[in-house]
Amino acid sequence: MKTLVQSAVLKNVHLKMLLTIFCFALFNLNSVMAQTNPTASAANEITVKGLVINEDGPLPGVNILLKGTKSGTVTDMDGTFTFPVKLKPNDVLIFQYIGYTTQEITIKTDSSFLKVELSPDLVEILGALDVDKPYKSKRKKNN
Amino acid sequence: MKFWPVVIFFAFVFNVQAQLSDFENINFEKADAIAKKYKGEELHNLNQLVEKLTEHLNSDVERFRAIYMWVCTNISNDYSLYSKNTRKRNRYLNDPVLLETWNAEFKKEIFKQLVENKQTICTGYAYLVKEMAQIADIECEIVHGYGKTSTMNVDNITAPNHSWNAVKINNKWYLCDPTWASGLIDPDTFQFKFDFKDGLFLPSPELFVMNHYPLDKKWMLIETNQPTFEMFLQAPLIYNRAYANLSDHIFPLEMHNIIKKDVPIAFKYKLAKSIDSSNVMLMIDDGHQTIETKPLKSQLSDSYLTIEYQFEKRGFYDVHLVINNDLISTYTFRVKG
Repeated sequence: MKTLVQSAVLKNVHLKMLLTIFCFALFNLNSVMAQTNPTASAANEITVKGLVINEDGPLPGVNILLKGTKSGTVTDMDGTFTFPVKLKPNDVLIFQYIGYTTQEITIKTDSSFLKVELSPDLVEILGALDVDKPYKSKRKKNN
Repeated sequence: MKFWPVVIFFAFVFNVQAQLSDFENINFEKADAIAKKYKGEELHNLNQLVEKLTEHLNSDVERFRAIYMWVCTNISNDYSLYSKNTRKRNRYLNDPVLLETWNAEFKKEIFKQLVENKQTICTGYAYLVKEMAQIADIECEIVHGYGKTSTMNVDNITAPNHSWNAVKINNKWYLCDPTWASGLIDPDTFQFKFDFKDGLFLPSPELFVMNHYPLDKKWMLIETNQPTFEMFLQAPLIYNRAYANLSDHIFPLEMHNIIKKDVPIAFKYKLAKSIDSSNVMLMIDDGHQTIETKPLKSQLSDSYLTIEYQFEKRGFYDVHLVINNDLISTYTFRVKG
């Protein structure tokens, strides 16, 4: 009985080891492949830095968000930024600043430094005010 | 294949009245409480602000409500910016080049004021609502057009003067006006005062078009019997408190009316909520004094309110409708013998 159980445990251990080795092999295979296929894995993650400008020069305070996530940052006083998480090719960064057209930039393998120029939003500035004063007709004397 | 036009036709017909009532089962208390919790936050990191406002809400309408409420209760209307812009735009009305140069220059000032001091004029409100909604992945547009209020020369509106928003929720477009919902300008001191008005959030398009005529008519969100610009100019003046009480204004169709004395005049409205007919009053100004009086008749049926009045003397009268102490609308009557 005892040997039977032991051999079952052993078999189990063997199976686990085999599985682990298989997994490692798969992982290695994957990262080897990743060298040729940029979308495939973690080996290709890059740190993205950059500069955001407008028509007058560097733009501080620009919001940068990784699309579909909550990771983001803001450009510093010199308009530069370092994105806080590593990015993969095909990730999309959204650059947003009040008054400027929001821009989306797709990360490529060589996107370690991005220079982004934001252009002013085309909006007409209008404004009517609300008052709660009742309307009053302008009356001539003979009314 | 012939089946679809019929379905689409009925979809429009049955959609006409449904607006905020589409969300009757949704209580905005949670969204409003979140907006209140983040009162005073800055605009420097809009992504973060939108995340705070929306992360614990489960539906797009609530997420949009939190954004709208935050903008309405944190951004103030700057009268000096408004009057400067109005002056310049009127001066350059017939000179597109100068108008464009002015707009480009003023735009920078507007957005700087908005980010640094949270002060703006209506395009700034509409712009901010749109930007924040987009961050929350809600489709939203700025709508430019003509707004009508009691202190402007209502008979002579020539240039577009107002901006508001259209928002797509559950695949359907709705309207809202964050500028007018945020508060009021004191007509004497020109000081802005926060005073949130709920009715301008997803109002009935039929009522909204009475004081918001869009440059692009598709943003009326009215499929049949769209009012023309002429009809908009001639329509009675409604106030923003009207939205809390009415879902449609039926007649009189025009603001200025000529009638004979002793002939009854009828007024008809579709109500947004049930009211007590004893709270329906008319304020009548004959040029010398204003009296508050009850209509001769008032009748409530199936959410419609019909009232009647008749003048016994010749003259020229400004007539204001008041429901539950809210100023609703104004008409003038020239009463002939």
